[in-house]
Amino acid sequence: MSINKDTALSRRTLLRGTSIFGGGLFMALNLQRPLALAAMKSDTPAVFDAAQWQTVEAITGRIVPTDHQPGAIEANCVNFIDKTLANEDAESRPDFIAGLASLDMVCAKKLDKPFVELDASHQDLVLSELESDSAAHWPNMGPAGSVFFELVRTLTIMGFMADPKYGGNANLAGWRVARYPGPRHHKGGYTPAQMVGEEEIITMWGDKM
Amino acid sequence: MKKQVFDVCVIGTGAGGGVIIDQLTAAGFSVVGLERGPYLSTSEYDDDELRNGVRDLVFSPNQEESFYNAATGETQTGSFSRISHCVGGTISHWDGMSWRFRPDEFKVLSTEGSVAGASLADWPISYEDMAPFYEKAEWDFGISGTAGSHSTEGSRARGYPNPPHPYRTASKMIEKGATEMGYKPFPIPLAINSQPYGGRPGCVRGGACRGYGCPIHAKSTTYSVSLPRATATGKLDLRADAMVFELPMKDGRVTGARYLDVKGNAHEVLAKHVICAAGTIGTPHLMLQSLSGSSADGLGNSSGLVGKNLQFHHFPSAVAVFDDDMRAYTGFEGHVAFDDLHASDAKRGFIRGGVVIEANIFTHQPIMHSLALAGSQNNWGAGLKDHMRDFTRTVHFAGVCEELPMESNRVELDPNIKDRFGLPVPRITKTNHPNDIAMSYWFEKRLNEVALAAGASRILNPSIPGLDIKLEEPVSGAEHNHGTCRMGNDPNTSVLDKWCRSHDVPNFWVADGSSMPTNAGYNPTLTILANAYRISDYFIRESARQSL
Repeated sequence: MSINKDTALSRRTLLRGTSIFGGGLFMALNLQRPLALAAMKSDTPAVFDAAQWQTVEAITGRIVPTDHQPGAIEANCVNFIDKTLANEDAESRPDFIAGLASLDMVCAKKLDKPFVELDASHQDLVLSELESDSAAHWPNMGPAGSVFFELVRTLTIMGFMADPKYGGNANLAGWRVARYPGPRHHKGGYTPAQMVGEEEIITMWGDKM
Repeated sequence: MKKQVFDVCVIGTGAGGGVIIDQLTAAGFSVVGLERGPYLSTSEYDDDELRNGVRDLVFSPNQEESFYNAATGETQTGSFSRISHCVGGTISHWDGMSWRFRPDEFKVLSTEGSVAGASLADWPISYEDMAPFYEKAEWDFGISGTAGSHSTEGSRARGYPNPPHPYRTASKMIEKGATEMGYKPFPIPLAINSQPYGGRPGCVRGGACRGYGCPIHAKSTTYSVSLPRATATGKLDLRADAMVFELPMKDGRVTGARYLDVKGNAHEVLAKHVICAAGTIGTPHLMLQSLSGSSADGLGNSSGLVGKNLQFHHFPSAVAVFDDDMRAYTGFEGHVAFDDLHASDAKRGFIRGGVVIEANIFTHQPIMHSLALAGSQNNWGAGLKDHMRDFTRTVHFAGVCEELPMESNRVELDPNIKDRFGLPVPRITKTNHPNDIAMSYWFEKRLNEVALAAGASRILNPSIPGLDIKLEEPVSGAEHNHGTCRMGNDPNTSVLDKWCRSHDVPNFWVADGSSMPTNAGYNPTLTILANAYRISDYFIRESARQSL
């Protein structure tokens, strides 16, 4: 019998529920349990060096790309990830850093450039190969490509949509994309007329919807 | 000084334990309540989705379990059961759906006959036995609903104390689709105040119920209803951060409980009776850890069934995108239901069934919508961004499908993995019965039909009516757990008697979901509450006759 400790692998297995409909949806909530509260707004890196910061920022920009609305780069998702790896998701930090190194090794061997210098279509190609564990030259040491990818994907989405106090969702970029007006539990909730669109709802950024 | 002997020690303060504490202190018994988690203040009940809905940091950050895959021999560690370790227990973060089980759900074995691979059983009590206690729970917890609108419900003597909550656009769409398909939708009975009730305010419909605590006590929980009342009697010694690890025995009776405080220091309380309500995972886990009695297999386990017959629910779902705003971020997880698919009919290819509920658990806040519902084709890139833009247009509804009990599905002591105190973690083993899988797929098709009839422009589920795409075997939910100390009349085939008292240990009782022999096609909490009222009533009556 083998035991998987709380690593990115078990996280991924649990997150598999995210692609299953049915009861699997409910399993998706079982993310790793973090250690401390990170409510940091500082852009000073806590975990990443300058090169890692740029690489992570570039990956997040492919996970939630910029179009006519801001994406993960404008939302400062890299800052969210940097802070959460220093706090709540500290257990994932070794896998994350090892995955970053593996990513650049793959890019150097395959395309002769680090990830950040690839154009968007090549970045997407590399990320697709990670996701499907089909990247040539991905090392056996450290997390599988798909594990690393799922980790970055999950943290990017969290950074885009979580409360801005965690360091991402800058200027409420994520909530504007989703047209989520913001939490209301402590702010009067909603009237029956607002629940059916007969009365306007004012968003946190002042729009009416 | 002689150590105090309490009349009753109650372990756990959730739906079962909270009601027992309330009822027994009101009747004058001295009660010590032991809760493994902290006493949270309502100031900690915020609506931060990352902290609550995604990471579950508020209610049980220290929960440790393992999940055993019998086929591969692999064990995963983590926290799998969506339960709360805090004063008030799991009902603190429920969504308030308050159903009475139907009469046939108390006699599944005699209704269906035996089924290969399943351990069906009748409850030792009937709907008629439970009905007065359902009513008691409904009025103590201020249920909002429309009595008589649920046409297949068992008979009721009295309506609900509060009117139903208003629908949002999403609820109206499900109502429309269900009506189109010939079903009869109605408001979900909810333990959320639709107007001030019981000294607590009406709800403001802020959109963070399931997975969250209610900061204004508008949601009815033992934290808000039962424990304040019990504290006011002066008969309750409530100890938070007290994790019971052993139930000592002497002369065939349990003498109280031993617990660890947060620092790991051991304490002992003495009591004439112990009523365990530590939950479907926690109760068998504690019984199996208590080895000082006559049985080497744990306390009260002469049947060998402690921890066995673990059941969850399957939640086959429709996740549908509409052209217009559905506003699922307002209100609660669910406002509307229909129950026309529930009645058992073997001609469908499976037995049993379940209620269908509006269940916007991932569509009411943006992180889980983005993480969980995008589907494998759109889980990153431009497709994900478009999916995020569908947030306010998406609706989720689900069946609450009865699972068939199987002895092989169980909670036991993990032989290898220890918690932070060095105690074995509970190990969960769970596989599906073929009936569960057939029911899930059938329900998913019917739900998708309803979504399309309501005018949905797209269905996000992988299996679309007419296209039999089956991706992976459905996984049953991590919540609604039941069955691990089933009640029954025969000590050889059940752990508890009809009053949820141990067949083996006369002063040991269980008052949580673990007593349920089968798990019905409804959210279970009202039944746990009602059963705790029933047990309390018996306990008080029999004590008066001095026969306990």
